[in-house]
Amino acid sequence: MPARSQSDKPVPAGGDDALRRQRDHDAIARLADDLLPALIAKLAASGLGEIEVREGGWKARLRMPATVNEPRRNAGVAADSHAGAAHAAGRGAASHARTEDRDRRPREPEEVEPPDRIVAKSPAVGVYQPLRDLTVGMRVRAGDRIGSVNVLGVNQDVVSPVDGIIGSSLAEAGEAVEYGQELVRIELPEPAAGAGAARPELEPAGVAGKA
Amino acid sequence: MVTKVLIANRGEIALRILRACRTLGIGAVVAYSEADRESLAAQLADEAICIGPADAKHSYLSAPAIISAAIVTGCDAIHPGYGFLSEDEGFAEVVRAHDLTFIGPSAEVLERFASKEATRRLLSAHGLTTIPGSSMLRDEEHAFAEAERIGYPVLIKPSAGGGGKGMRLVRTSRELETSLKVSRSEAMAGFGDDSLYLEKYLEDNRHVEIQVAVDRFGNAIHLGDRDCSVQRRHQKIIEETPSPALSDAARRELAERALGAVAAAGYESLGTLEFLVDGNGDAYFIEINCRVQVEHPITELCTGIDMVALQIKIAAGEPLGITQNDVVFRGHAIEFRILAEDPAKDFRPAAGQVGAYLAPGGPGVRMDSHLYPGYEIPSYYDSLLGKLCVWAPDRAGAIARGDAALRELLVDGVTTNIELHRAILANQVFIDGKVTTNLLDRVGSAPFVAAGNR
Repeated sequence: MPARSQSDKPVPAGGDDALRRQRDHDAIARLADDLLPALIAKLAASGLGEIEVREGGWKARLRMPATVNEPRRNAGVAADSHAGAAHAAGRGAASHARTEDRDRRPREPEEVEPPDRIVAKSPAVGVYQPLRDLTVGMRVRAGDRIGSVNVLGVNQDVVSPVDGIIGSSLAEAGEAVEYGQELVRIELPEPAAGAGAARPELEPAGVAGKA
Repeated sequence: MVTKVLIANRGEIALRILRACRTLGIGAVVAYSEADRESLAAQLADEAICIGPADAKHSYLSAPAIISAAIVTGCDAIHPGYGFLSEDEGFAEVVRAHDLTFIGPSAEVLERFASKEATRRLLSAHGLTTIPGSSMLRDEEHAFAEAERIGYPVLIKPSAGGGGKGMRLVRTSRELETSLKVSRSEAMAGFGDDSLYLEKYLEDNRHVEIQVAVDRFGNAIHLGDRDCSVQRRHQKIIEETPSPALSDAARRELAERALGAVAAAGYESLGTLEFLVDGNGDAYFIEINCRVQVEHPITELCTGIDMVALQIKIAAGEPLGITQNDVVFRGHAIEFRILAEDPAKDFRPAAGQVGAYLAPGGPGVRMDSHLYPGYEIPSYYDSLLGKLCVWAPDRAGAIARGDAALRELLVDGVTTNIELHRAILANQVFIDGKVTTNLLDRVGSAPFVAAGNR
């Protein structure tokens, strides 16, 4: 990391506040101009899930899009009852015997998915571990970490794609999972249920009605 | 020992590796990206695992994803195929660090042959001729002397350049004098560095390569040559073996010299040494490919040796098991790369869904392809749809079988270069075995197609 040495600059007059502000600005400028571009390149090249750097009192954390954006997009796909959901459904392990899959072709969505079927998917190929205190019925917000997939010792976050309630598990703790494998069902709060249950900003739009 | 292989590639080569594993009686897992979920290799495999999104950077080029997939599926080896991570010494090193076998050269060997410049120096020290060139030009005097020594025509090349930028062809000392000034200022403007050097320009050259296999016990064999002179913008389109550019004596001499040099330089695994052959039949070494080549099937057709199986054997630490005397060359073979691109539209890659698909058959015909009716060609990767290879006792017979097979081959729904292949086969220059690497680019493909349609 090409970290430059701190403040060779003249200290601005005007007391501690101005000095601190100046340092903050310097730190942020270094984060934005020097470190972030280098980090982005490094993250892209390494295939790591996440990288964090500190500068002065500030820190910046970069996360691979697969763990943050992807599930949101996938959630939309799954909610549209795309065939991909049917493909992965009912599959135990990451590497699956293909014999029973073969008569699946040509692929049609065999089962009509309920429109509110939303799942958290694996961000990578590795070993799955749900959060220790993850329980059915637990309330989660979109982007909340609900587990991780260990890829060669590096944990990648499994996140909930939407605001909702933890449903049934589709993979066991310690199980080998593949990229995109469905791990946890997320139920949407009943639209007609008590006013407190429903959240107005549910994603993806159009899946769940406003209470 | 290799008992179960993770196939970290796609398309026809994933299928080819799967077939080699089954033949050897070892397990195989096909690693695929989201875009290749419906690929033939993933469907035919006993086991398949999704390693990432369509973007190759996060799937076929992601070392952590591939190694993690190998570990969770219980594989003890990884076959990288060609392209992607196949010649990446860093990847080979990480694979080994996870106690997995990399099916290819070791990280040390890959590193030794990683730089083209260093490889040329290394193999030139072991007896291979490289394209004559100068040191960095000091001044005009020096340039004239060097050009005289190398012999005109020469290329002026900027040291900092690449991809042909700033390159100038000069045929006389007068041209050299005027071009030097222009090249210097261009190089300065383009690369911020005006260092220049000279390289001999090989007019009307042929691309000939030598296939070798070396195990860790020092056993080394060559598997003959391949002629890859039918190219478009440095992309091979048709390959054949043996090369019509070499006499049998020259062929044997080149193969033995190449094998001797590469073995002495410490190479191990399958490898291909590429040469440019000029009009006098002189061969100049240009580079080495440390992987299985796209065009390996024509060597298999003429030698009867399964090269992917051989590659796996070498990586597993077994001896070759055959000597040079066991390698017998029979007949002539030609490969046609079937590409999803439109020759009429400047070879723009075509995508789409394959409608009807029919592979040709008959004696001496082999089709390595991942196509099937209804297959959706993903737009993320290369345009190779398959390789049609034909074998016959002699070259004329191979051309005849090639034409018959190309007429049978049916790929509906996407534009392909099948007609261009037929046109090239019908062209007198090809029939005479005199195609040079610049021919298609110089003439353009339109005249070929037009002549073929007559």
